[in-house]
Amino acid sequence: MSGAGGTVDVSRTLDKEMRVFGALLTGYAQACINLNIVAGRRSEALLDDLEINRWYPLDRWLKFERVVLASYAHAGPIMERVGMQMMLGWYHHGPGKALVAAGPDFLEFQTGSGGYASVVDGPESSIGAFALLENDRARGHAQVRSTTPFNREMERGVLIGGMKAPGDLDFVDVVYRPDAQIFDIEYH
Amino acid sequence: MTLDDLLKAGAPPDDLELGPDGQRRLYWKYRGLLKDQERDNAYWEATNANLKHAYETLDEQERQLAAAYRIIRDDLEVASRIQTSLLPSAATLPGIEHAIYCKQLTEVGGDYYDFFRTRRDETAIGVFDISGHGVSAALVMAFLKAQFMLALERLAEPAAIVDEVNTHSYAFLRGVKKYATVNFVVVGDDSISYASGGGFGLVLHGDETHTFEKRAPFIGLRRKPYRQHTLPFTEGDLLAMYTDGMVEAQDSEGRDYTVARLNALIAEHRDEAPAVILDRCLEDYERFRSEDTDDITLLIARRTA
Repeated sequence: MSGAGGTVDVSRTLDKEMRVFGALLTGYAQACINLNIVAGRRSEALLDDLEINRWYPLDRWLKFERVVLASYAHAGPIMERVGMQMMLGWYHHGPGKALVAAGPDFLEFQTGSGGYASVVDGPESSIGAFALLENDRARGHAQVRSTTPFNREMERGVLIGGMKAPGDLDFVDVVYRPDAQIFDIEYH
Repeated sequence: MTLDDLLKAGAPPDDLELGPDGQRRLYWKYRGLLKDQERDNAYWEATNANLKHAYETLDEQERQLAAAYRIIRDDLEVASRIQTSLLPSAATLPGIEHAIYCKQLTEVGGDYYDFFRTRRDETAIGVFDISGHGVSAALVMAFLKAQFMLALERLAEPAAIVDEVNTHSYAFLRGVKKYATVNFVVVGDDSISYASGGGFGLVLHGDETHTFEKRAPFIGLRRKPYRQHTLPFTEGDLLAMYTDGMVEAQDSEGRDYTVARLNALIAEHRDEAPAVILDRCLEDYERFRSEDTDDITLLIARRTA
């Protein structure tokens, strides 16, 4: 499994026009709490005044990311687990089950208008894209290009967690190629 | 039999046979489990590495805290010695037999008592309770001692002395958000004169019992002139001065020790020596209170001549 490409593109994250939706922040915060990455007063501070239907400046997201990135010497596997946990929460305790019937469907959903594009707002040059290049269900192979400013380990966790959540797939592997900004996905 | 049927069964059947689709799924399920295990291992390794780092950080912080604590302890010990040295040591007061108990709740406290001589060569006694505890209270105590010594060089009447100290201390004490109760007594030929702002006092003169009027402001709280009161105080009479530490202490059921209880106890033992009266009060107090929650000062004095 690839572990590369976990850093955020700073030139993009500083774009003041970029906003993230409260549901994304809440999902991330709740995942951190469920995984005991934060507890007690810190978890209360994380969720403090957070509303799922409001838009927040990107700074708020970066603050959330730092909770993990600053706490762990090897944050990659933790960010991946946070991404997986976010999707499990979204699927089992949020709207996910009604929107995604099977693991491979998640790729279409996440790269369509209801996925990444619905929780991040701003100029395209800043928010980038999360695009499905290929989804060969017969072969169990897909490719997603990510040019978002988000942490790639977390995005890999999102893909794994989102595809595994419906429970119909026996195998999911996601490998990131940083040179091409592509996630190679194998599933069965 | 499908793989799902097989997995739902409690144990594998003797005649286990899986079709090609079942075998394929079994293969991917097994690979999937290995992949999950790989992710779990990476996650727990990162978590364990973080835990190890956290323990090392905690160890280092514990060492730093211990070093900082030693410095604070050393400073507090010095402050405590300085505070003790500011209190009068076993002073002999002309014509007065006295006993005093002064216990600070922490190493450095806010209760302060002192003996002075006025410019008319009369004995003056001050009992003060500075707000808060710790080094800041001790610093205020040193400041107040200096202010009283300066005022006593020019003045002899207790109200005038306390007024002068309040006037000169007000801005400073407001600035550092501190104040002090004051109970200041000057012993005259056959009377005592006092000024009190929050200080507790009792005079037993013959069969008469007088408690101090203490409604004047604390030092540092308001700039308002102090009233002076005079009570008879002749040979054999008893004077008690104290802070609120004892009388506001509570028993295990939350009841206050009370001024009434302490004054009654002092009156009950009025014919005994001040040291004995003091012991009786402390014995009763220690039986009563569940724990000390404030500094305590209790002074008992008898006019002997």
